[in-house]
Amino acid sequence: MTIEAAMNKKTAHIEPSAEELAEGVRLRRRKRLTNLAIDIFLVIVSILMLLPLVFLVANAFKTPAEMLAWPPTIIPRDPTIANFSAVLGETPLLRWIGNSLAFAVLSTVAIVATSAIAGYIFGKFRFRTMNVIFALFLATAIVPFEVYMIPLYFQAKSLGILNSVWGLLLGYLVMSFGIFLIRQNVIHSIPDELLEAARIDGAGEFWIFLHIVLPLLRGALGALAVLAFFQAWTAFAWPMIVATTRSSYTIEVGLALFQTGFTVDLGRLSAASATVLIPSILLFVLLRRNFVQGVASTGLKE
Amino acid sequence: MAAVEIQNVRKAYGDVETIKGVSVDVPDGAFVVLVGPSGCGKSTLLRMIAGLEEITGGTIRIDGRVINDVEPKNRDIAMVFQNYALYPHMTIAENMGFSLRLAKKSREEIASRVADAARILGLTDYLQRYPKQLSGGQRQRVAMGRAIVRNPKVFLFDEPLSNLDAKLRVQMRAELKDIHARIRTTTVYVTHDQIEAMTMADRIVVMRDGIVEQVGAPLDLYDRPVNTFVASFIGSPSMNFLSTRIEADRRSAVTESGIRLPFGSETSVAPGTAISYGIRPEHLTIATGGGEGIPMVVANIEPTGSETFVQGTIGGQKVSAQLRERLFIKTGEVLNLTLSPSNSHLFDATTGVRL
Repeated sequence: MTIEAAMNKKTAHIEPSAEELAEGVRLRRRKRLTNLAIDIFLVIVSILMLLPLVFLVANAFKTPAEMLAWPPTIIPRDPTIANFSAVLGETPLLRWIGNSLAFAVLSTVAIVATSAIAGYIFGKFRFRTMNVIFALFLATAIVPFEVYMIPLYFQAKSLGILNSVWGLLLGYLVMSFGIFLIRQNVIHSIPDELLEAARIDGAGEFWIFLHIVLPLLRGALGALAVLAFFQAWTAFAWPMIVATTRSSYTIEVGLALFQTGFTVDLGRLSAASATVLIPSILLFVLLRRNFVQGVASTGLKE
Repeated sequence: MAAVEIQNVRKAYGDVETIKGVSVDVPDGAFVVLVGPSGCGKSTLLRMIAGLEEITGGTIRIDGRVINDVEPKNRDIAMVFQNYALYPHMTIAENMGFSLRLAKKSREEIASRVADAARILGLTDYLQRYPKQLSGGQRQRVAMGRAIVRNPKVFLFDEPLSNLDAKLRVQMRAELKDIHARIRTTTVYVTHDQIEAMTMADRIVVMRDGIVEQVGAPLDLYDRPVNTFVASFIGSPSMNFLSTRIEADRRSAVTESGIRLPFGSETSVAPGTAISYGIRPEHLTIATGGGEGIPMVVANIEPTGSETFVQGTIGGQKVSAQLRERLFIKTGEVLNLTLSPSNSHLFDATTGVRL
């Protein structure tokens, strides 16, 4: 058959046979079953991940006797707020939360500010010396914190900032990963022409940073803020050695007090932990969109 | 408005020289197009006029003032980029008024100048939108608007139409030309597309490897290219070149296979000299008289409706022809052609320079 003949031949409409129809039904059913299996698997995984959290909150409302009962109950039979009143009354829990909050917020502000400036400079002003400095920045991430924890402690001591928020902040002002994250974002999402256009339009370098670069980095900076906040919020080793007075503890250090070498006061620990969860969950809910966007934006166009 | 004078400008990155002494005069109010293949240095030259690249040697003057070391913002220029470079987080109005805001103009003045520019460009309905809500052509117009609003001495365009589809490109070409006709601001326009250069320019500067090959009005370049590079770069489909030798009568050249190609007037070049005989595809026509003609072996026929493009060989050398007639012949057949001798071009076979 010539090409013309093949092109001219009308494609006749043929009804699918019963066999073909049955095959279609079979394939569709298989697809549905696969999807169902995936859904069930994901639901089980989610439950497994949520369960410890649910028990933590539930335990906070249980009496000591019920806490040790078998099988464990999810909804307390005899709910009590004794644990909460004990924790809030006998320990300066709110003070610790306040310390943690101040520490985490200040650390976040410092890290976001330093990462934004350094990331932008490293991303857009590419000289050989800059590359060397950037490599040095990255190299600091390789050194484990425990290695320089003690020297840093002596530094804090000689500065006279032990047992204060400033002492806590000493190791949490700059985050090399944050600089890296912002640099990658700058390279990826801010074209040179945008900065050049602004320069021709008459903008100074600082104006460009403030009015063009920062607004475009909103997503990445939001993600970094969440990371930085939780890094400080969950910090343990450094706060423990810097804060030695009961009133200067962060919440993480304070929680550890409920476990001594010999006993664990489960009820109070649960109540305190449940209280501590509230600010972190709140923050995540507020910044969730930024967080997901920032993490996803590294692989997407526009 | 102002003239731009570029004198013996050089650009070197370390030991590598990318612009090797370029001199171009852009008269006040002119539309000058820098054209050339990629890597020829046309964009670098434009960026040097803008102040985005440092000038290694030579001088650039705008309105008589040497601007070599003047900051971009103090050169009184506006630039339109290939990717438009619109600020994505600002509305169209904010984008267009950005430079005025930086210049601390009053709110009323910014609003009225933005509104004027928007009217010229047909963007009035889009002022409160964001760049991502607009189509490519509209974004291109906003980039234009941002330049117009400033009322600069010179407009610089860096391949502004390359990101548009073919149809829109033709439309924007006409719009740009129309805007230039109305506001008559001195314009330097960079493109790699010779059609854009031909259709828009008052004067074309053809560049290659960091030097200027030829400067002239579009049709001058088309009719009298100084060398084979310009001859093949300007015009589409590009000029045919046949390697030939001058005949004893000095009025024609002959190919190795003995096909005689006339060039009308007598040349001063010695008989027997090897030359490159150039003829544009549209100057080849079908021979009407039978017998006497140049035989072309047809390899491929492309009917476009209005014209027919034919590729083939004359004496074993590749040639293309642009014919008015519709052809009903097959590949491998021979087509008898004539050419108009007055439209032929002779170039030195080795240097490529026009004879």
